[in-house]
Amino acid sequence: MSLFPAARDGVTPKGSPLVDLPSPGGYWRLAWRWPSGGEASLLFSRRSALAHFGLLLALLAASAVYLALGSVHLAPQALGAVLLGEGDAVARFMVVELRLPRLVAACLTGAAFAVAGCLMQTLARNRLATPGIIGIDNGATAFAVASVVGLGVSLAPPAMALVGAATAAAITFGLTAGGGSRGYRFIVAGIGVGAVFGAITQLLLARVDMDTANAAYPWTVGTLNARPPGALLVLAMGLAVGLVMALRLSRALSLMRFSDAIAQGLGSMVGRRRWQVLAVAVLLTGLAVAVAGPVGMVGLIGPEVARSLACRRGVPIIASALAGALVMVLADLVGRVLLAPVELPVGIVTAVVGGPWLLWILLCPQRSLA
Amino acid sequence: MSEVAESSALEARRLDLAHGQRRVIEGLDLRLPPGQVTAIVGPNGCGKSTLLAGLARLHAPGGGCVLLDGTDIQRLPARELARRLALLPQEAVAPEGLTVRDLIRFGRQPHQGFLRQWSWEDHRAVEAALAAADLQALAERPLEALSGGQRQRAWIAMSIAQQTPLLLLDEPTSALDLGHQLEVFELVRGLAAEGRTLAMVLHDLASACRYADHLVAMRAGRIVAQGVPREVVTRELVAELYDIDCTLLHDPATGTPLLTDLRRFS
Repeated sequence: MSLFPAARDGVTPKGSPLVDLPSPGGYWRLAWRWPSGGEASLLFSRRSALAHFGLLLALLAASAVYLALGSVHLAPQALGAVLLGEGDAVARFMVVELRLPRLVAACLTGAAFAVAGCLMQTLARNRLATPGIIGIDNGATAFAVASVVGLGVSLAPPAMALVGAATAAAITFGLTAGGGSRGYRFIVAGIGVGAVFGAITQLLLARVDMDTANAAYPWTVGTLNARPPGALLVLAMGLAVGLVMALRLSRALSLMRFSDAIAQGLGSMVGRRRWQVLAVAVLLTGLAVAVAGPVGMVGLIGPEVARSLACRRGVPIIASALAGALVMVLADLVGRVLLAPVELPVGIVTAVVGGPWLLWILLCPQRSLA
Repeated sequence: MSEVAESSALEARRLDLAHGQRRVIEGLDLRLPPGQVTAIVGPNGCGKSTLLAGLARLHAPGGGCVLLDGTDIQRLPARELARRLALLPQEAVAPEGLTVRDLIRFGRQPHQGFLRQWSWEDHRAVEAALAAADLQALAERPLEALSGGQRQRAWIAMSIAQQTPLLLLDEPTSALDLGHQLEVFELVRGLAAEGRTLAMVLHDLASACRYADHLVAMRAGRIVAQGVPREVVTRELVAELYDIDCTLLHDPATGTPLLTDLRRFS
């Protein structure tokens, strides 16, 4: 960061450095000058910075507990030793080979579900419009199950899940072409599309023998126990791309919360941006479903937690990712530990917690997004 | 607000606008007088809000064009248009939890970018908009906590912070009581005094006469009369627009037309 005078017209006194410029209350500003002479500035909301820091700390703490607890509990010292590359071989195997990949999967899927949820909620200006509720999860699941139980289609689950997510989204949008992506009509159509794809999944599983159906069971509830090989890597790459794209869209997203006329009047190309936001949400949902199946409610709870903590002016993309990862890690931890040695699929835990949450949202309509 | 460019000219030429299959406006010609306040009046459903949306490119024309300083607005990039022309639609609703200052800062969005989030220009524009709308004392209040008139001024302040030479307002005073209407109209006059070109759709003919320099009267998608209010507003025009008979007086204080003794033609 360098000190420099703002080189504009006579209104700014000569020599008045950009660092003297008052930021809007509650913000930090980072400013610099490019070698070419242009000015650049970034604003950071203090409240959001604190929220991100807190969520990150909570995620780290939850991750440590996640790695320590399980069929064999590790003491904090033992876990510390393992993480430093020491400790005995059994403990190391358990943590590094078994729990760590699953923790990574929980973080990535949770983040992807929550960011996709945040994007769709903003797009539809409705908190209920998460991919899980408007059927995108189910579309992805149906296609992935089709590829697993083998309908003569041998594409990898991530590719099939992506195609399924895109198909479900396209059908939902197609059904509400007149009404646009706003309001309850869109959500109701999405619920219907989701039900159809859910039925298709059941039908596919009913046609196969017991063993194959058992193998495909995770796909109906959502679990981190049966991760298709390679899907996690694809998700990691997709999440990186999706987060960058979502951040690039963040300014357009914050305008999307206003009516179209206002967003357009402020120079946003509303129609084009809407397609881009939808594309990112479909990408993240499809790839996350390919790893964990249709884990419900994370796309609802994650953004909700993020919104309540972060600055109200923007759309909390990174905070949603952190909160979603946190929710997923905690839910899977509970699922692994609560009834040990029996393991509850993470999708069941999130459904048990998320059901009442959903009821609360439905019964408190005054807290709407718009 | 020295940074606002001098008035620019907005002109509609043989403009056709339609809602789906229904033609709302056909072959309309209109030029907003630069540096003045234009009021567009007419009965419900006459197409005045549609016209305003068309002038701001919210509605693509079926035929004809809208020229901004001689350039077809369809050819302007979205952000550039937003730096030259601001529209405040009717019944604007803000996301929950915004303060007045938060809202006004959104008006700077067309001037900003991902790596240009806060500059001296932004700071001065927001402060100037707060001052113009007399909202400094309320800057940190949440919008939900404001009265209707204050909230409407905050929305107009957002458009002011956009620092466009042209400002279009769709029924800025609907749902406001008399005192709050006055707040808004005085703000509008102040903006015109600074050299901006304004156009507003109004329901109330009397306020249009009182606060506009130029009156455009519409019926069924066409302009039936336009000009200086005191010359344009006649008993015949009122009859044509609203199907009512009236007695026309002139306000002894201001000389603006006043309608009394309103009767429906039976």
